[in-house]
Amino acid sequence: MDKLNKYLTISDKILILLIVVFSIIMIVYPFVTAYFNQSEDQEAYIYIKNRTKNIQRIPISDTYKEEPMKIEVEGPLGISIIEAHNGRVRLKEAPEEDPAKICEKTGWIDKPGPSIICVPNKISIWIERSDSELDAISW
Amino acid sequence: MRTRKIVIIALLVGLGLVLHLVENMIPLSFLIPGAKLGLANIANLLGLIIFGFTAGLQILLLRIFLGSILAGTFMTINFYLSLSGGLLGYLAMSLFFYFLRNKFSMIGISLSGAVFHNIGQIFTAYFIISNDAIFYYLPYLILLALPTGIGIGLVVIFTNNYLPREIKGIDI
Repeated sequence: MDKLNKYLTISDKILILLIVVFSIIMIVYPFVTAYFNQSEDQEAYIYIKNRTKNIQRIPISDTYKEEPMKIEVEGPLGISIIEAHNGRVRLKEAPEEDPAKICEKTGWIDKPGPSIICVPNKISIWIERSDSELDAISW
Repeated sequence: MRTRKIVIIALLVGLGLVLHLVENMIPLSFLIPGAKLGLANIANLLGLIIFGFTAGLQILLLRIFLGSILAGTFMTINFYLSLSGGLLGYLAMSLFFYFLRNKFSMIGISLSGAVFHNIGQIFTAYFIISNDAIFYYLPYLILLALPTGIGIGLVVIFTNNYLPREIKGIDI
């Protein structure tokens, strides 16, 4: 170490110190920010896409109420009624003209992954959250 | 004098090529993936202190082009990474060498080169994979560049002391 000291100037030592401090700050910084943003990151959303490809985003935290949240979406066959309550969402009523009513039979979904699709009425509903335990899903 | 210069530059390119190939055999990647010693930097740093900016740049570019052709990585991601890192690191070293030489020793100059080499590589990698999470990787690389940069600086000091008087660079 003494030998190394012979070659180092004061500016060298300052540079080394700066590099060490800078990298430690850079290493620690993401952990600190992740720690403080924890609560916000866990927010999940219900996504509803209609025939015009408009995507409606509803925070799941809004559905924790006494009364279920009702959303009406218009499709080519008529109006579908979507119900969201206590973190779950379902397609409650498909229009009469819908032949199979598969979307109604899908029932409640409450986590990212499954989705409610209504092909005749061109509606799809799914849930996304940023800290999902799944990286990707393929069918 | 001119022939002598050409020969010495060619020798340094050869030295850089060999070091470039040898350092690929040293497994530092288990510490941090993609980490390297930067031994090839010795050659262009020597070129810089013996002949100046242009010679060092020639050595750097020839070494990168020939090295990538020999390793079969010409025009691939590896090549762009080493080109961008090498150029940025070399520019930083030249700036330190020409403007801050009375303050920094060779160790500081080589250290700046090592740090900017990593910064250049990370920026290129960012443009290739376009995912900004790669920047979280930078501090680990820079931290590892510290010992390697100091080591390369010491090697250059010792090598310059042993060079014959005719081709010796500026006293360092």
